[in-house]
Amino acid sequence: MRVAIVSLSSCLGCQMVFLSLEDYLFSFISENNVSYAPFVVDQKQLPEVDMVLVEGTVRNGEDFRKAKEARQKAGQLIALGTCAGHGGVQGLADMFSEKKLLRRRFGDGASIDGAPQGVRRILPLDSYVRVDAFLPGCPPPTGLLKSFLEFALSGTLPSREGSSVCSQCRVSGIPLPQPGPRRTTDAAPVAGRCLLEQGYICMGPLTRDGCGARCPSEIGVPCGGCRGPSDAVLEYPEQDLQSETLRRLTRATGQKPRDVQEAVGDPAHSFYKYCMAEPLLRRRRPGGTSPFLYRLGDLEER
Amino acid sequence: MTEITIDPVTRINGNASIRVLLDEAGSPREARFQAFGYRGFDQIARGSHIENLLAIVSRVCGGDSLFHQIAAAMAVERALGVEPPEEAQRLRELAMWGQLFERHAVSLTVHSLPDLLFPSSDPGLRNIISINRVDEEVIKRLMALKSLGTYVLEEAGGKAVHPVNFLPAGAAQGITGDRRRSLIDKLDEAKPLLIETGRLIKLLMRRNEEAVNTLGTDPTSYFSLKGESGLVITGSSLAAINAAGESLAVLTPEEAAERLEESNSHHSHIRSAELSGVGEVRVGPLARLNVNGHYGTPQADEELEEVKAQWGFPLHRSMISHVARILEMIHAWEKMIEILNQPAGERMRQALKPAAGRGVGTVEAPEGTLLYNLVLGDNGTVKQLGITAPLQFNLKALERSLLESARAALGGAETGERATIMLETAIRAYAPCIPCGVH
Repeated sequence: MRVAIVSLSSCLGCQMVFLSLEDYLFSFISENNVSYAPFVVDQKQLPEVDMVLVEGTVRNGEDFRKAKEARQKAGQLIALGTCAGHGGVQGLADMFSEKKLLRRRFGDGASIDGAPQGVRRILPLDSYVRVDAFLPGCPPPTGLLKSFLEFALSGTLPSREGSSVCSQCRVSGIPLPQPGPRRTTDAAPVAGRCLLEQGYICMGPLTRDGCGARCPSEIGVPCGGCRGPSDAVLEYPEQDLQSETLRRLTRATGQKPRDVQEAVGDPAHSFYKYCMAEPLLRRRRPGGTSPFLYRLGDLEER
Repeated sequence: MTEITIDPVTRINGNASIRVLLDEAGSPREARFQAFGYRGFDQIARGSHIENLLAIVSRVCGGDSLFHQIAAAMAVERALGVEPPEEAQRLRELAMWGQLFERHAVSLTVHSLPDLLFPSSDPGLRNIISINRVDEEVIKRLMALKSLGTYVLEEAGGKAVHPVNFLPAGAAQGITGDRRRSLIDKLDEAKPLLIETGRLIKLLMRRNEEAVNTLGTDPTSYFSLKGESGLVITGSSLAAINAAGESLAVLTPEEAAERLEESNSHHSHIRSAELSGVGEVRVGPLARLNVNGHYGTPQADEELEEVKAQWGFPLHRSMISHVARILEMIHAWEKMIEILNQPAGERMRQALKPAAGRGVGTVEAPEGTLLYNLVLGDNGTVKQLGITAPLQFNLKALERSLLESARAALGGAETGERATIMLETAIRAYAPCIPCGVH
């Protein structure tokens, strides 16, 4: 198979996982023709390929051009990682105006030669081009990437019915109520027990499984949601990440719902760290939410 | 011909292009390293609780993820006046040496080795995939070093890319007895391969002497963390030296942040950085070596003697960075074993009371000093964040090296393809990290 790897606006972490495939990396590169992968080979122009793995998402006109070219030249286009799938951590920039971000960084009226046009809103890859399969993860777990590639190279794109991280988590419960909401920097949790029930912000119930729930089960840190929202969350708009997590924390801590909500002063960074730009969750208006709210006279420029 | 354009530059970390502008006589007059894609990481964390800060900044760069996390953690700790327990500090350092080891292995094997092995071949051969077809063993063995770094990082950090085990003022999980022994064994086993790789890189340097003496040779000042008895990757004493090795400044992280002067590059999203009262500095493996004088571990220092005898000291020629990288890998290997052999402490974390404060975190990321300048608001949320990445310090020197290389390439009536090879080889000596530099 002719394979290409394209990096849009990205931290390149997904590619690092690709390089970590160990023995499989070598059989992969010898059995296939990796004809374009700027990280590894000197090919400057994207040729026609059977499959392209795209990491990152579209942040500017140059990314957009690359995404379109990848779609045009590839039989199948795979969105690799949570940035491509849901916008990723860089999607938090969607809370800010692009103009303001640039002005604050580069100064008023800065003109940078050759800078591609920025996007006005951050969106996942499939808002721009048709995607044939997604493999979310920040980064995608090595085992999943390997299985995925093995399947894909046999001719069929695999599909994995997912559940939530809780379904893979191996901790036990704890008697309620517990103190909280609290943060891992406040106090260490009791090992081996559910972190959400202990009053920490854990996105396990609402996050796509497949990672083995190592963070809460083995390391003892709450799930941050790096695989992106679970299918249930994406399919049912009432399963809002913020209200669902606050509801669970209310139950775990026995505090008043209002107090629980106020205790989390950074809902975007806490609940939407990896998927702020995911349009399904924001029930986005085509053309952009901000322009619509401006017309309503409701929005001051943030 | 009015310019040379290389778009994209391949076998580097990230997306970038080069433009060399020529004057009427066809002589290079300006070299531009163009990288775009500002994602706003110094701004999108505003309003975040400190609990979320490490996970966010980690995503600046996959290959340097832990360094961003620890620089941020250190900034939080200095802002709040707390120190992580010693065991957590050891674990952090172990993980950082692991990531540095991994990162240099990738840099040397995937990015630079093809040029050093085959300086004159067609592009089709200059990559690990083609080399692997011709000689299966050499790439597998070198990538085994990368795997070793990844393994240590995973054990200490929970995940190799975007580790999860570290928090401000601590770590969640230590490494228990069995796993410790297993790590030490794996590291021990790798010694022959590591030493052999050192020999290979040194040999390739001598074989590529013309490139070493052509592609980026200007002496500069240097900047890095300075240890008491050799290199360090974390600490609170930074030193700047001039080309002769004389001290220009010794700074705390906060003083370094105060003296930082950033300015726009008018053709990149990378803002160039220098230190007031010092001027331009280079950072990275060569800088660390020049600033500290030696590594402080026996094997690395033994290898260093040969390098100094061959190439002099301080070391200015950018291509020698490749030697500095393998020496740092040897040093990292010695440090990892040293840390793992230390008795494990029990206490892993320190509770934090979020409050207002200012703090600066400084670490030596694989390609140089990484600085985090943090202001916390009243309830301990992120009010302001400044990130200064290694490539920002190195940008001007990189462009000068490009210009020097372009003049050498065109002066010798080289063909377009040969010029491309020379310019890209010059860039890879810096192993620029674009996601970091642009953030």
